[in-house]
Amino acid sequence: MEKHISVCPYCGSGCKLALLVENDKVVGAEALDGVTNQGELCLKGWYGWDFINDTKILTPRLKKPMIRRTRDADFEAVSWDEAIAFAAGRLSEIKKKHGPDSIMLTGSSRGTGNESNYVAQKFARAVIGTNNIDCCARVCHGPSVAGLMVTLGNGAMSNSICEIEDTDCILCFGYNAADSHPIVARRILKAKEKGAKVITCDPRFIETARISDQWLQLNNGSNMALVNAFANVLITEGLYDAEYVANNTEGFEEYKKTVAKYTPEYVEEITGLKAEEIRRAMRTYASAKTATILWGMGVTQWGQAVDVVKGLSGLALLTGNLGKPNVGVGPVRGQNNVQGACDMGALPNVFPGYYYVTDPEARAKFAKAWGVASLPDKVGMSITDVPHAAEEGKLKAMYIFGEDPAQTEPDLAAVRKGFEALELIIVQDIFMTKTAMFADVILPATSWGEHDGIFSSADRGFQRFYKAVNAKGDVKHDWEIYGLMAKAMGYDGIDYHSTEEIWNELISLCHLYTGATFEKLAGLGYIQWPCPDESHPGTPWLYAGDKFQTQSGKGLLFASEWRPPLEKVDAEYPLGLCTVREVGHYSCRSMTGNCAALTTLADEPGYVTMNPIDADKLGIKDQQLVWVASRRGKVIARAMVTERTNVGVVYMTYQWWIGACNELTVHHVDPISKTPEYKYSAVKVEKIADQMWAENHVVKEYSKLKKGLADAANSPARVSEPA
Amino acid sequence: MNRFIVAEPAKCIGCRTCEIACALAHGASAAPADAGAGYLATGVAGLTGKAFEPRLKVIKTLNVSTPVTCRHCEDAPCANACPNGAISTRDHTIQVDQSRCIGCKTCMIACPFGAMDVVSYPQIREFAGVAIADGVKAAAHKCDLCLGKSGGPACISVCPTDALHVMTEASAAETRALRQLRAALDTPRVEAVA
Repeated sequence: MEKHISVCPYCGSGCKLALLVENDKVVGAEALDGVTNQGELCLKGWYGWDFINDTKILTPRLKKPMIRRTRDADFEAVSWDEAIAFAAGRLSEIKKKHGPDSIMLTGSSRGTGNESNYVAQKFARAVIGTNNIDCCARVCHGPSVAGLMVTLGNGAMSNSICEIEDTDCILCFGYNAADSHPIVARRILKAKEKGAKVITCDPRFIETARISDQWLQLNNGSNMALVNAFANVLITEGLYDAEYVANNTEGFEEYKKTVAKYTPEYVEEITGLKAEEIRRAMRTYASAKTATILWGMGVTQWGQAVDVVKGLSGLALLTGNLGKPNVGVGPVRGQNNVQGACDMGALPNVFPGYYYVTDPEARAKFAKAWGVASLPDKVGMSITDVPHAAEEGKLKAMYIFGEDPAQTEPDLAAVRKGFEALELIIVQDIFMTKTAMFADVILPATSWGEHDGIFSSADRGFQRFYKAVNAKGDVKHDWEIYGLMAKAMGYDGIDYHSTEEIWNELISLCHLYTGATFEKLAGLGYIQWPCPDESHPGTPWLYAGDKFQTQSGKGLLFASEWRPPLEKVDAEYPLGLCTVREVGHYSCRSMTGNCAALTTLADEPGYVTMNPIDADKLGIKDQQLVWVASRRGKVIARAMVTERTNVGVVYMTYQWWIGACNELTVHHVDPISKTPEYKYSAVKVEKIADQMWAENHVVKEYSKLKKGLADAANSPARVSEPA
Repeated sequence: MNRFIVAEPAKCIGCRTCEIACALAHGASAAPADAGAGYLATGVAGLTGKAFEPRLKVIKTLNVSTPVTCRHCEDAPCANACPNGAISTRDHTIQVDQSRCIGCKTCMIACPFGAMDVVSYPQIREFAGVAIADGVKAAAHKCDLCLGKSGGPACISVCPTDALHVMTEASAAETRALRQLRAALDTPRVEAVA
């Protein structure tokens, strides 16, 4: 039996594991002693690898290139030469006719790795000539990046996952570690064991709330009001570090003025919390020698998200909880390489290494390195702009790489309409996804396990993962496919022979990564950027000497007025819908849905969790199938009645293809980060009288969906017509 | 004293990794006896909703998340109740001899922890090279502490938060001694009792 070092392809914890291989087939996984996971794994790490073997439980692996000559035609299997010629030809035509900005591309925050993302954005910028490239950071921690870049100068976690257990106080805000990052949850438990105080701000009684010293059950959509009240308490009670604020921050007077109104008493009605609870939480936070703030999607997936991120960083600045070990701000990244996709510049506003595309010097540097006359200077489009831009006719083509927007974006009906309006959709993936069903060209890639590369974990840690098995089928590495596409479009600068070659080019261009060499990252190597030169060990915590990475070198205190969520509940749609995660499945589920053990624990149509009080009102019993409907759609789901869920709001996880909650969610985005308000839509839940019919309906719909995907993936080559 | 598995609810995050490990450890997997919990040559593929029968179950109430499993009772009600002598004490654990189980479910009713389950599956017999159905075989399912497996109980080896442990006579004595000490230190000092 062989063992190959890898990094788990699911959440951003960066767990090192070994894939066990027999006869060129993955047969198991083993925990390795990685820096973040210390020999532990959660169920996705232990049992989340069999999708590589094409189990066909949910949807088949893509094994050959396919094209569709017209939208009403079926897919036909073609050779790589034909697929590339077709895709590159159509893309060149559109570029010529409508300009480079009529084309949108995505990076992939998932198992493909940093090298492919680097190449993808190079293809977008140097070959297409657009900054229209984005990744799913947009729909998760985009606001954290946007907010922290302004207040502290760096969008990533300030401190390491390992340091969490040695902090004296953890403020968990809208962050359900147990379901999102079990291996981070483990650090929170260890911190608690070592005597840390834990404060949890969440409308639900999540696992972390069970072990918390204080649980603040705030109303959904009141984040900004609570964070402002926190700041208000720190200032009015004199709990903040005046000297630190004077020396290391700016904007205090303005900030103080804005939060003055938000006394704990004033926000009682907005947050549903008692003033005394708010005061107590801040007394605990401020009195701790070291304190860490962790947040997740409960902060970022709102129409007001960037403001709240800025507000949270303000609490750390006020109390001096930055620039040393065991403190800081922690937006814990949700996908295994969403930090990496951002690091590689799969974003519309930055090059690899976070050089702004609007900076002429940076443009000149990359243009020279990439051998092109110039690079586009206009900030590109966000992925959430796509449906609208497509319908308006501004966008003509989309090259989607390892993402499934037809499952993960809000208001899926609008997404489908946008897709239909596009002239060309290229999908590069490992599975036949709902998005791939819209494609004109499908380019099949190798999966995690079948290629090597480097991922970035949530705390800026570069880690290498190795190839374990050979790919089965006529598939290519993602970076190879971009090379073929580039060549067909007349650009020779994407001609690589290994990930190492790509990595070396990247680190030579980005001072943040220069010292993180392939050799240093071998085996269980772990290097956190910034790592400016080869002798540098990496940076576990940022802002040493309280030097922030802003232009002035100071941290910015910035407060905003609270805005309520866009959609309101009313008589027809009386319940709030908040979309969340569950521990056994990941993202759009194309990977975990093809894992036998993970599917055994949870399968379609997925749950809608609700409080017994709401369930009783509707006569709904635990485990019954129900309809959930919003102004935009209607889906079937299974009720899970639990007191851990707050009254008036129901929760659904976003990975179900039948019970797809994004059919219901509203397309309302944060004005700065363009991140959707997944956390609040108005819905109604309806009882289904005939449960037998409902159960059959789910089975029938699920079979139909799976058959459609399987048939598409198995499309035959065109039989040549007789002469 | 019999050994048994204890869970610390304060550490459990309700992720159910233990349930999968348990089902796979007792599945039809062809894994070699010395393989760790992550080796699943046929295990994962053989796992389906119907055949998913973990011997411990994660329970979540408002305030508690914790797996519930067999206590390997000293005076085990299941063993006492079994009319066919299928349940006995072996190597400081309570074990079921599946060849003697008739599926009467008496043990299931007797167990105060709900740790016993009785499952049945079709029996297949080979006759002249042909597989033929041969009625139904029952099995009383409970935690067997993965007796005979080199890595010890599978649930313990996979738990990401280290919430599961085997309680042995020695570790139970240690825990008791610690708690007695704590009780002594925590006793309020009473200067005078009227």
